[in-house]
Amino acid sequence: MTTPATGFFTDTSVCIGCKACEVACKQWNQLPADGDFFSGRSYDNTIHLEATTWRHVAFIERQQRLSGQSTSRPFSWLLMSDVCKHCERAGCLEACPTGAIVRTEFDTVYVQPDVCNGCGYCVVCCPFGVINRREDDGRAWKCTLCYDRQKEGIEPACAKTCPTDSITFGKLDDLKEIALARLQELHRRGVTEAWLYGMGGRDQPGTEGLHAFFLLLDRPEAYNLPPDPYVPTKGVAGAWGVMALAAAGMAAAALAAAHGRGGDRK
Amino acid sequence: MSPELALQIGEGAAQQVKRPEPDAGGIVPLWRQVPSQHRTDQNYYGLALIKEPVWIWSVPAYFYVGGVAGGSAMLAAALHGKKRLRRLAAWCRLLAFAGTTVGPALLTYDLGKMSRFLNMLRVLRPSSPMSVGSWSLAGTGMMATLSLLQGDRSGVVTRYGTALGGLLVAGYTGVLLGNTANPLWRERRLLLPMLFMSSAAASTAGVLQMMPLDKREEKVVQRFGMVGKAGEAACMVAMQRSDAAVPEVGAAAREGKGGVLWTAAKAALVSGILVELLPVRSPLKRKVSGALTTIGAICLRFALLEAGKTAAREPQTTINLQRSRMRR
Ligand code: SF4
Ligand code: SF4
Repeated sequence: MTTPATGFFTDTSVCIGCKACEVACKQWNQLPADGDFFSGRSYDNTIHLEATTWRHVAFIERQQRLSGQSTSRPFSWLLMSDVCKHCERAGCLEACPTGAIVRTEFDTVYVQPDVCNGCGYCVVCCPFGVINRREDDGRAWKCTLCYDRQKEGIEPACAKTCPTDSITFGKLDDLKEIALARLQELHRRGVTEAWLYGMGGRDQPGTEGLHAFFLLLDRPEAYNLPPDPYVPTKGVAGAWGVMALAAAGMAAAALAAAHGRGGDRK
Repeated sequence: MSPELALQIGEGAAQQVKRPEPDAGGIVPLWRQVPSQHRTDQNYYGLALIKEPVWIWSVPAYFYVGGVAGGSAMLAAALHGKKRLRRLAAWCRLLAFAGTTVGPALLTYDLGKMSRFLNMLRVLRPSSPMSVGSWSLAGTGMMATLSLLQGDRSGVVTRYGTALGGLLVAGYTGVLLGNTANPLWRERRLLLPMLFMSSAAASTAGVLQMMPLDKREEKVVQRFGMVGKAGEAACMVAMQRSDAAVPEVGAAAREGKGGVLWTAAKAALVSGILVELLPVRSPLKRKVSGALTTIGAICLRFALLEAGKTAAREPQTTINLQRSRMRR
């Protein structure tokens, strides 16, 4: 029996920015605090997903109305709870030289802390800037999609705690249905800017789809998401080819240097 | 949260906590560099979109050392059986051995978790240039040790094995940098392997030129080095030209520490070539040229890392590059 793929659908249109997911994640996974820090940017003092922050709520203040909304001044909030995308083709996984990053039976991407040796290659290979190496610990850490909870058949801490169900956890196929229904509903209500980010391979060929995908109300870059992410490994064959040519060049240069005139003939 | 006060058994509990309440500056240093002016580009408060490379100085240092090891391994194989170039071949074998020994040490020094270095050889993952590189480094190290021990009498397997491994060690680092999500490296991914390969030849010659050589040896080293230096210069020019396509990428390559190092690398390379071309014959000239080439090659590798960091810090570099690719 194979376990069906699970994931997150994060509907940012209902997120209220309460940060319960951030706190629940820290609590469950026993992640250390990031210290007192005031960013001076919107209400977001977490700034970014980090090795010790596996959920991050972004606060976007816009001098612009959402369609279908009426406010006295042109203004709207965009809120989004960000997380590791558990890519279908994951840059971090394909880059990891130790095999520390594996795909679990739930089709999620998991870093085995006892294997990771802290080489830091996954850090530069994640197109979303998710995974990072901890300075004091020396290993790479990121969201596990609560692998330990899933093994027990319970949903991840962030989804469990989300009061508006902005974070929905479930089987990937179910999530896609929910997402499409929600998208239609929003469009029917006139919120035509709503769209789905990374739901499938067709929408996001660079990663062949995300297992944690999003309903967004603006362009991806407004949320600090890349518009066209790709798994770096996709173009690597060409680079190896060029290297082989260059290697042939170096070999030729060495032979020519050694055998050329002025050198020694056997 | 104090780890001493609570029993931790969850997913992240295996993490060691050095400072339970680290000062904010240590964790999120980036926002300080964000100007508070209004931006017309759309992004998230100008905050970094991707992560900066976490590598420290020992990684670009390794890139250099690995290049020298690879170039010497190849040259040693090419020189095999040449009676009057025996001493040069011995130097090359020694360099290849030293490089493949010091290299892994430098790499290990960068690892946050040194005790786990052996995990590098736990799997072979063809999709990861880092994994391919670790294996070829380990293999070439063994081969280089063997050929150092066997000296002139080394067999066909050792000779060709060392040469092949050397070529891989010299070039894979270029593939490694290009195969990332970093916009600057990614944009140059077809040039980087050529750059690293030619620069490896140049660095090998640079080191050899600083050694005592006779006329015959000097000629061989000079020829090998000239091909490398010319290739390196050509790749650097090509890179600067390709940068012009997306202005942010060019800016990341020019700005800050990376830009200074890049200019230094260019200056050292060019003056190394010029000194080489001076119409006088003297060991001093040769040594100066070798030293300049060496400085240039080292600066180049540090420039690449620093420019990569700069590119990662500015979200618009990633965004504009991807947007322009989508339009294409
Ligand atoms: S978002 Fe990044 S860290 Fe998460 S699975 Fe994808 S590549 Fe890996
Ligand atoms: S830092 Fe750890 S998880 Fe990341 S690529 Fe290296 S070994 Fe793999």
